[in-house]
Amino acid sequence: MANRGSQVVAAILLVIPFVVYLWVPSYNMVDPKLDGLPFFYWYQTIWLVFSGILFGLAAWLINRGE
Amino acid sequence: MLNNDGIALFVVLFIVFVFLGFYGARFRRGDLRGLNEWGLGGQRMGAWLLWVLVGADLYTAYTFVAIPSGVYGAGALYFYAVPYVALTFAIAVVTMPRLWVVARNRGYITAVDFVKDRFNSRNLALAIALTGVVAELPYIALQIVGMQSVLTVMLLGVANVKTVTEVALIVAFVILAVFTFTSGLRGAALGAIMKDVLIFGSVIAVIVVVLVNWGGFTTAFASAPKSYADLPTISIPKFWSLFFGSALALYLYPHAINGCLSASDKKSLRTSQALLPIYGVGLALLALFGVLVYGIPAALSILKTSGNGALTVPAIIITVLPGWAAGIALLAVFIGGLVPAAIMAIAAANLLTRNVVKEVYPKITPHGETQAAKWISAAVKFVALAFVFTVSTTYAVQLQLLGGVLIAQTLPAVFLGLYTRWLDGKALTVGWGVGIISGIYLVLDANKFGILTSSLFNTPFGFLYIAILALGLNLLVAVVGTALVRATRFHREGIIPEEDLRRVRTGSSPSAVPNPLAPVKAVSQLEAVPE
Repeated sequence: MANRGSQVVAAILLVIPFVVYLWVPSYNMVDPKLDGLPFFYWYQTIWLVFSGILFGLAAWLINRGE
Repeated sequence: MLNNDGIALFVVLFIVFVFLGFYGARFRRGDLRGLNEWGLGGQRMGAWLLWVLVGADLYTAYTFVAIPSGVYGAGALYFYAVPYVALTFAIAVVTMPRLWVVARNRGYITAVDFVKDRFNSRNLALAIALTGVVAELPYIALQIVGMQSVLTVMLLGVANVKTVTEVALIVAFVILAVFTFTSGLRGAALGAIMKDVLIFGSVIAVIVVVLVNWGGFTTAFASAPKSYADLPTISIPKFWSLFFGSALALYLYPHAINGCLSASDKKSLRTSQALLPIYGVGLALLALFGVLVYGIPAALSILKTSGNGALTVPAIIITVLPGWAAGIALLAVFIGGLVPAAIMAIAAANLLTRNVVKEVYPKITPHGETQAAKWISAAVKFVALAFVFTVSTTYAVQLQLLGGVLIAQTLPAVFLGLYTRWLDGKALTVGWGVGIISGIYLVLDANKFGILTSSLFNTPFGFLYIAILALGLNLLVAVVGTALVRATRFHREGIIPEEDLRRVRTGSSPSAVPNPLAPVKAVSQLEAVPE
């Protein structure tokens, strides 16, 4: 059952960036700016790193269960 | 024009790249007479190398040139490339390790090998193979377009720049063809390491210099059109459907699958794909060059004078960096085109050899199969080169745009096939046909049957990426068709035991097999199984 549980967690980790990016109105704005860069751009760029971390955790969980 | 220091460094580093390409043959040495050795690097790539290789393979020179060009010309919409490259790797984490396992167990070299056995359908396999080749060829041609933009800026002001550029590209491609022929995927893997180091170094150097010396984003956004600061509401459906559809489609391209199948093991593959969104930070920064160029008058004037947005990245590089550094950065984008072009040609050749030639001549030996793939991979590069020189780059761009819509139609057979055997081969084939025809028709209609510049169709929900619309029809037909076929008992079961998808059978790892040709032989035995 622990295996099943970690698979569910892995699936959630994989899905989070989809929710983040598909919810376009949540980040389609100019402010707050980061050194002149509108929110729209820097938020999506930062989420590349977060996505990598979440997917990495998911991969680790799946690998551990196999 | 680039100064002499810059040109000298460009040439010296290009020679280093070529050396790595040839040296690749000796890298983790194997018997290059086997197709899995030549075309998949002996399936010995660990997590770190896979990250580098697949990263260099998927983040192509064309992306580096076209996305900033799009941002320069149209603003925030083209930033769809960022969520696209974030999300596509979640799909890779879910699909690619499973494909790798079944490929390892059954000696598959391409996704089509899998589809053929999974659904026990040669027609479906042929349809998927041809889609892969048709989508891949313009992609190779576009790497040439990316490399062309580097040379154009580098040689700005030189007399007869067009001829010089074409000669340089032909020389580069001949060299590429020769080392791909001798080293296969291994040569590309070493080139990929060099590409990644240089690209990241260059992007960071340019960003730092622009932020410090050119007033950074504040100046750039003040000079850029007002609408570039965020996405106009009308563009929101375009934005999400483009990144979602592209993310679904990327790992259906033969070069993406080819890179993944070169993995040494399932866990390394999964980890490496999971961490690839981080590579996308480089692409995001490059995309922002499309805005930054508005704050750099000398670079902007190059774009305005030439009327060519594709010059955005090279123009910024040559304007803000000292000559020697610009030489390195331009070379980075240049080999950024050669690495994916090599892998794409290998992948297209693997498909054509294994899934077309071998279908016609089933008695081809493993050695003969590899020879055929080597020659086809060379031929494919020159077809692409000839296409760009003789037809026009505009056609290559249009075909690439169409290619994205077409390749998405292979999703039901390849991705869903990994998880369910319920679907029927005949229904999938008809679904594929409906997807392809409706996709092409919608693209033509969206462009009023003229030059193809848009892949977005006006629906009641706004403009949506046609790849998704056609895929919806395709899936509908495949599901309804399967239900009908199953009801009438014309259904044919696939021949892959479920166990082969789950875990690697003991003894099927090539590193455990003394003779590297063994996996290829194993396939010919399996194919003797009556259908």
